[in-house]
Amino acid sequence: MRCCLSLLALLAVGGLHGQEKSTSFSDLNGRSHTPLSQADKKATVLFFLLPDCPVSNAYGPEIKRIAADYEAKKVGAFVVHADPDVTIEAAKKHVKDYGYACPVLLDPTHILVKATGVKMAPEVAVIGPDRKVLYRGRIDDLYVDYGKRRPAPTQRDLRDALDAILQGKAVAAATTKVIGCHLPDPKK
Amino acid sequence: MRMSAMLSLLICAGVSSAQAPTFNKDVAPILFAQCATCHRPGEAAPFALLKYEDAKKRGKLIAQVTQSKQMPPWKADKSDFAFRNERRLSEAQIATLQKWVAAGMVEGDKNDLPPAPTFASEWALGKPDLVVKMPKAFKVPAEGKDIYRNFAIALNLNDDKWVRAVDFRPSASSVVHHTLFFLDTTGTAAKKEADSGQVGSSGAMGGFRVPKGGLGGLGSLTGSGGGQPGSLGGWALGAQARSLPDGLAWKLPKGSDLILSTHFHPSGKAEMEASTIALYFSDKPPTKRFTGLQLPIAFGFAAGIDIPAGKKDFSIEDSFVLPVDVKAFGISAHAHYIAKTFNVTATLPDKKTKTLLKISDWDFGWQEQYRFQDYVDLPKGTKIDAKITYDNSADNPRNPTNPPRRVRWGKESTDEMGSITLSVIAAQEPEFSELQKGYQQHLIAAIRKFGGKK
Repeated sequence: MRCCLSLLALLAVGGLHGQEKSTSFSDLNGRSHTPLSQADKKATVLFFLLPDCPVSNAYGPEIKRIAADYEAKKVGAFVVHADPDVTIEAAKKHVKDYGYACPVLLDPTHILVKATGVKMAPEVAVIGPDRKVLYRGRIDDLYVDYGKRRPAPTQRDLRDALDAILQGKAVAAATTKVIGCHLPDPKK
Repeated sequence: MRMSAMLSLLICAGVSSAQAPTFNKDVAPILFAQCATCHRPGEAAPFALLKYEDAKKRGKLIAQVTQSKQMPPWKADKSDFAFRNERRLSEAQIATLQKWVAAGMVEGDKNDLPPAPTFASEWALGKPDLVVKMPKAFKVPAEGKDIYRNFAIALNLNDDKWVRAVDFRPSASSVVHHTLFFLDTTGTAAKKEADSGQVGSSGAMGGFRVPKGGLGGLGSLTGSGGGQPGSLGGWALGAQARSLPDGLAWKLPKGSDLILSTHFHPSGKAEMEASTIALYFSDKPPTKRFTGLQLPIAFGFAAGIDIPAGKKDFSIEDSFVLPVDVKAFGISAHAHYIAKTFNVTATLPDKKTKTLLKISDWDFGWQEQYRFQDYVDLPKGTKIDAKITYDNSADNPRNPTNPPRRVRWGKESTDEMGSITLSVIAAQEPEFSELQKGYQQHLIAAIRKFGGKK
């Protein structure tokens, strides 16, 4: 059981399933994006969020900072809503409340969830130009457990992963455990 | 191991699906009774848990955080005396939720669904005698450290009143964690706020009341007739407003300002908070007085809190022997970030020891004011022992300074405090002054001892 779980994890971290490679998504303004295959970027971060998850929302300012800090370094960023109950209107309100500047995508059927192997919010997946998932997990270690939060993070996993990728190095911890909310089931 | 657990779950789910818990029959009663106070539209919790779809969507999270006892939030361990409105789930309830999720979250027969809980539309205790609101909203930034802020609100009362209950409604419930109510008859807090030109003033515990170094102010922290002078109790997330028991009341002198000492958690989104407070008065003055026995005295001011950087197991203790028969009706704990455990016991004259309050994983965020289900009888000669432990190591994720630094007593949240307050009446009202006198003696002895050590 454990063996096949880790095999699955390897597969997911290793590469994307062919079918999704060129999948196109419209953002809230109707612009088209191919988040899994961004040829002009050195890497792309997908931030899987849930608007009714306090842990996810608490990361709003840090997500904005990361997106802005790495934009100049040719790293793409998307906010992804994987909850099928999140409508375009709800996603727009969420953007207005938290001020995200990067494109926001809806993934009600979990195409991006399955392609990256994420399970939680806020969970991130970093995709390389070769379409491999290079990092998947938490943004940082601010939350030690549910209801147990550090005054400030001591380890900034996502930033560390991006820095390694930009320097052409391997990501030291390619997967990390996320404290947050489970993504709901996809739309059938 | 994992495989066999999985296998047995599958077997359970398959073979005994007839007995698998359903939402309508087994889960809804738990959610309605223990979760819906907060988990309903318009309340502080981030999502409602009133419908099958709501619960199914969060099933995994519900199973996880109820098993780990992070939800419902209730920091007190099971002790020898029941508290009112305990939000703790029983082991059987936790097991039911586990089974329900493992078996695929079945909805069940609609006829089994109990009626949804009803809540008072505005104020749980009915029409208040006085409703006041913060005159200006306070801006809580999107992120950053927790904020403690005091807000002075003029009550404009021309007569003394007796207050039996206080209720509180935040305007931005996602950022307001708890608030303590104080009274200021001197206008100090209002003046401080007006002079600064800002909304509210900084500092914990009402800011103006905690003595700064000098011992002169300590008298004001001891018990007296209507409970701790200047206090009207507090409100914490998830708390339900209740009247003091048995006709007891806090004294509210005319001309007092109400001070809210509010704890904010930034939520990721900037919010404006303008709290509304409802006061309920007693028709007649109480026939009994009550007081708070604080151990160690004065929020631990004289308890020798001086915790070396990196120290994992620092503790403070205090004991008080009751000079008369008392009845306890409430207990609360106060400390800051690095406190770990609280243990309060009563050793009765027959040498039997009972636990009054035990907290194994102190969380600064949950400053619950526990109310006993019934009066706890504590005869004359009962010894109350309070012990508080601290972890000032880097292993404590709640440590506000990294690397750790020496921590001493102080009102800033990076300093420490530590005390419990046992709310009591004298079993025989005429003996109340003897109780007060006994506690005053304890206080003076503690200060002398502390002064001698210094």
